[in-house]
Amino acid sequence: MVSYKYSDKGTVIHRLSPWCKLAWIACVCILALLFDSPVYLLLLSLSTLPVILTARVWKEWLSVMKFAFFLCLLIIVINALVSNQGSHVLYQFPFAIPIAGAPRITLEGILWGVGNSLRLLAIISAFTVLMFAIHPDDLMLAMVKAKLPYKSVMVTSLSTKFVPALIDDAQRIADGKKSRGLELDKGGRIQRVKSYASIAIPLLSNSLDRAVQVAEAMESRAFGSGQKRTFYKELKLSKGDITILSFVFSSIAFGIFLRCLGQGGYQYYPVVEAVSLTASEWAMLFVLLLLVNTMPILALLKRKVSLG
Amino acid sequence: MVSIKNLTFYYSGSDKPALRDINLEIEDGEFVLLTGPSGGGKSSLCRCLNGLIPHFYGGKITGKVEVNGLNVMKHSTKELATMVGMVFQDPENQLVAMDVDSELAFGLENLAFAKEVIARRVEEALDTVGIVSLRHRATSELSGGEKQRVAIASVLALYPDILVLDEPTSELDPKGAEDVLNVVERLNDELGITVILVEHRLDRVVAHSDRVIVLEKGMITADGDPRSILSDGRVSQSGVGIPPIIKLAQAVKSKGNLIDNTPLTVKEGRIALAKALRHSEPFASRHSEPFAPRHSEHPSLSLRAPSLPVILREQSDRRISPLRAGSGVAIPRPFAIAQGDNKGPVIASETKQSHLKPLIEVKNLWHVYPDGFVAVKGINLKMCPGEFVAIMGRNASGKTTLVKHFNGLLKPTKGDVILGDINTKEATVAELSRKVGYVFQNPNDHLFCDTVEEELAFTLNNLGVKGEEAELLINRTLERFGLMQYRYQYPRFLSGGEKQRVALASILVAQPQIIILDEPTRGMEYRLKAELMKFLDEYRREGRAVILVTQDVEIAAEFSDRVALLSEGKIVVDGPRREVLSRALLFSPQINRLAQALKSYGVSGDILTAEEMIEALT
Repeated sequence: MVSYKYSDKGTVIHRLSPWCKLAWIACVCILALLFDSPVYLLLLSLSTLPVILTARVWKEWLSVMKFAFFLCLLIIVINALVSNQGSHVLYQFPFAIPIAGAPRITLEGILWGVGNSLRLLAIISAFTVLMFAIHPDDLMLAMVKAKLPYKSVMVTSLSTKFVPALIDDAQRIADGKKSRGLELDKGGRIQRVKSYASIAIPLLSNSLDRAVQVAEAMESRAFGSGQKRTFYKELKLSKGDITILSFVFSSIAFGIFLRCLGQGGYQYYPVVEAVSLTASEWAMLFVLLLLVNTMPILALLKRKVSLG
Repeated sequence: MVSIKNLTFYYSGSDKPALRDINLEIEDGEFVLLTGPSGGGKSSLCRCLNGLIPHFYGGKITGKVEVNGLNVMKHSTKELATMVGMVFQDPENQLVAMDVDSELAFGLENLAFAKEVIARRVEEALDTVGIVSLRHRATSELSGGEKQRVAIASVLALYPDILVLDEPTSELDPKGAEDVLNVVERLNDELGITVILVEHRLDRVVAHSDRVIVLEKGMITADGDPRSILSDGRVSQSGVGIPPIIKLAQAVKSKGNLIDNTPLTVKEGRIALAKALRHSEPFASRHSEPFAPRHSEHPSLSLRAPSLPVILREQSDRRISPLRAGSGVAIPRPFAIAQGDNKGPVIASETKQSHLKPLIEVKNLWHVYPDGFVAVKGINLKMCPGEFVAIMGRNASGKTTLVKHFNGLLKPTKGDVILGDINTKEATVAELSRKVGYVFQNPNDHLFCDTVEEELAFTLNNLGVKGEEAELLINRTLERFGLMQYRYQYPRFLSGGEKQRVALASILVAQPQIIILDEPTRGMEYRLKAELMKFLDEYRREGRAVILVTQDVEIAAEFSDRVALLSEGKIVVDGPRREVLSRALLFSPQINRLAQALKSYGVSGDILTAEEMIEALT
């Protein structure tokens, strides 16, 4: 069982300023969107691993990735079915759809799905750090500092806080139903949907009660008093954090620079391109990935230094 | 200081007033206990004190509420936050931050205090409530009692003059409740904070309060010092749970014996009763003939771990003065009941095990949760028709895990649970629901239909009972639970006690042989508890088994006939309630603690309830 909740594992990544982690996530996302070459995207996805491993959130990461793989599979299948611009035809359907023409599965269609799945995997992988290695209060504070309205941020943070309670509620209600003789997992599909829908009503009604109670409690503690709110905790940036931030930003800049040089591009259609990188391209790519991974490296070094 | 004049309040959309013509003055530093039946207006009155009424809950309001000279109608809840601190019933739904220190800072941040001030006040609040060790913990990982103390600290950080606590312990286990009440009492004693506490269970707090106010149907029906209020017969009529010790004192007094003052604590009771026993004729003359229940020897009594010193006292004082049956001494009635003499089909548990085929048989049951937590460790248990078993134990001792096996909600990791001739491993929960009814703590989790009638029909329909037969069963069950008048009403809009009854009816309509209730009395007022127990008692007389998971010692002492005490996933002791409860330190009822102390006067040490004690003394 993996709990989808933040827990402070006390690793060097958890200790870092949320700004560093947010910048790193942004960096991975930007690079993933910048490059098209499956080689670049694959290596970028893999280069998120050191952070995941240092933050010791691999169990959570793995369960998220399982879900992501299904999503990717779906992308690949759907794209293969609907995109028919490629020239290497693997299978030609024996019928035609009006307007859309005769559907066919092409090598290009499949590869496009695979390439973009890699892009998605890199992004999702980076976001697991957001979910599992940034303290929700810090994240909230960072969002407020980034000038998002406090009330919206608070509501978002609260809604995530009550997800586990909601899951418990649903479980209890389902148990109650079963104890009254309802076969939740039996019967036809429609019957099952109906059975599960009967959980929704008490769940919704419990949640509304909960919402009123939470609101009442917050009101009693002067929430939204009209004054400009102060913040007890601060997001401090140490020198080490600033160093890390500058490396992260430089990796974004370097990525853009490489892209401007024409590296990391790729064409799927109409004919799939051969993947070939020159020695200098490999070297540049290696430097880029190293830059992306300065965060865990520096964070570990920092602790070594402070311990030594 | 609180001053309320002619306050009447209607919630919007309601034509019955929630509060009716309330006049009340509360002095600084007072400890006020607010009690009364549910739906009596206690929560509404609390909400008036910090302006949640009328600013958060709209409605029609007349009269005047002043807190420290501020008119609540004109000042918002936010402005009043630094004067009145509110702590609510449900610990889950009042914490908003991720960890404890942010939780404490939340109110101060909202009021824009400077960071240094916040830091200092958070520190103070942690110290005052005694939760410094929790400071960096995530709020979601705390126990109920800890959460409630964090909630108290978080309002305390705002330096309120008045602390209003709306049933703060009703969702907690006895230990958590004790911790919370200790804190509240200290805040009142040492810091002079005015405390307004809403409570159903008075035995624990009444001794500490300066004043008891009873609210019924929106009106104040009694207001005064605890001794006089609780010894007033009218108050007990209203459904307020009079602590057993006071009941006892009343009865002793009414027999013409001298008791100077109404005792509020076990200690006061001990002194007063000892005095009465020494001086009064009828008692003194009985010294030579000690009162004690007739015990039969039960070799099958399963004291599984007699070496456990905390739970069990020495075996040597088990029988203070065993009077054999037929020795010619009149046997007090309550003890005869325990023997099963006049309860019809009820058979004392120890004899039953050998004669009847058990309804439930648990064989070496182990349960390990997916996260690796071993909740139940090798439990063996048998339950027979006609038994009323209380399953007790601290939080996380495995009580709920154990009973969830009885209807298949959980399947054994190792071992077997046999229901008659069905192994629960081979049946679904729905199939088992014909035999076993399971009532959850919160009736809201049960109710989802449009009418009460449909709620009952739903269960029957699932079990394949339809048409006239179903109609008959529904009518009979509605009748029995006094729900006929609510037949076509929306169940969720009923009051707490009525909802509980509908939930129970929706289970019992299927006439299961075994009924399991998980903490049904938590946060329930006394009258409703007694009502519920009456239903259950009737039910078991029909030769069925009732299993009650509870931490309420008084309920177990009064209504069950067998108690199984769990600790860390094991049964520590399992036997007739008298055997178990009179020898347990943590789980012994108030009157038993009194009886233990009066042994030298010939009072039997295994008396459990006020009624038994009265019987024994007269």
